[in-house]
Amino acid sequence: MSEINITVTVNGTKINANVKPEMNLLKFLRSQGFYDVKCGCEMGDCGTCTVIFNGSSVKSCITLAAQADGGTVWTNKGLGEVDELTQKLQKAFVEHGSIQCGFCTPGMIIAGKAYIEKGGKPDRNEIKKAISGNLCRCTGYKKIVDAIYDVAEQMSK
Amino acid sequence: MKNFSFVNVENKADALEVLHREKEKSCLVAGATNVMPFIRYEKINDKTLINIRNLQELRFIREEEDKIEIGPLTTIYDLENSEIIEKYAPALREAAQDFADPTTRNSATIGGNIANASPAADTATPLLALNAVVVAESKSGVRKIPIQEFFLGVNKTALQCDELITVIEVPKNAANSNSCFIKLGLRNAMAISVVSVAAGVELAEGKVAHANVALGSVAPTPVRAKTVEAALVGKEFTPGLVEETAKLVTEDISPIDDVRASGEYRKTVAAVLVKRALKKSGKI
Repeated sequence: MSEINITVTVNGTKINANVKPEMNLLKFLRSQGFYDVKCGCEMGDCGTCTVIFNGSSVKSCITLAAQADGGTVWTNKGLGEVDELTQKLQKAFVEHGSIQCGFCTPGMIIAGKAYIEKGGKPDRNEIKKAISGNLCRCTGYKKIVDAIYDVAEQMSK
Repeated sequence: MKNFSFVNVENKADALEVLHREKEKSCLVAGATNVMPFIRYEKINDKTLINIRNLQELRFIREEEDKIEIGPLTTIYDLENSEIIEKYAPALREAAQDFADPTTRNSATIGGNIANASPAADTATPLLALNAVVVAESKSGVRKIPIQEFFLGVNKTALQCDELITVIEVPKNAANSNSCFIKLGLRNAMAISVVSVAAGVELAEGKVAHANVALGSVAPTPVRAKTVEAALVGKEFTPGLVEETAKLVTEDISPIDDVRASGEYRKTVAAVLVKRALKKSGKI
């Protein structure tokens, strides 16, 4: 039951905290004020809690906070301040009207970023597969795909 | 009442030491994609969570003379993008491409997928058809478990509580190089399979020399379609033969009714998927 002490670099800032052994990374991030990481289903289905952990996109609700000890986490908001690709995606989401309630947006942007960074092309079907672990209940996905397509096209030029 | 503790291990020797010490309390955590929902739904409460996520020494895909070796910490993303897997175990690659969604594939590992022993585990069906061997290690030694003897029931495997999977071996042969995987889910993403089929056939002068067929989500464990296999071997490989033998799969499976599909539907669709997989593998 004893808590464990972890140090995680989140958006470039080192954070030290005590966590319960079974706490998920999502709860840890929100407890530290990173409210842009949303809590949806908390079982790995909806994707809105997606963050970049040690260089890979992961669903933070199905990652143990303790596993992040010594590691690096970037959230959508933090990436938006330093990462050009994330900035482009954020801008494209606004321009294409891809945000209605906005709850899925942080996860969608990180899924889009992961797709483009892995060499993803402007291909609607491939983009749909790339965001297949992210649920949106407002937009019908079309405008989200449009935005990611737009940025993928810009990057492939 | 939740009563977890957490131990981080940095190498295999440490992992075996902790498993030996914690015994039944051990719960290995790598990608955590199964363990976290188990914690949330209190399927587990009183465990020592042993973090093996950083055991890079167990994350590899190697080609040996007569087999390929896959480390248990290999992620589904790694499987999807490996030329060795594509060449010698295409069924496994196709299963990786259908596995959950791209984000989950970055975390989920092949070792975790089989150790969890879900009847619907996407990598289990191909590994069964590929005649894989699971190498398990504990402080008292190493043993090899043929995959046919590995799955004992829903979430039950032949692994002892102090054992760690250290390698998954897949033999190199023509049937495995010809293998393919087909999954039927209720939608394309994040879907737990209704039925999955992996098949690999080796032909010699137009006749079936070897036929390996495995199915998932049709019994408490992934199963081999032994009746279908026996009816194929030695015969001329024609669309007619495949059509007739695929129907025999109902002898090999015992599907249940659940939220995804009825047992009857699974039986009907299993025969269709076996037929398609055999044709694809034998290229007719």
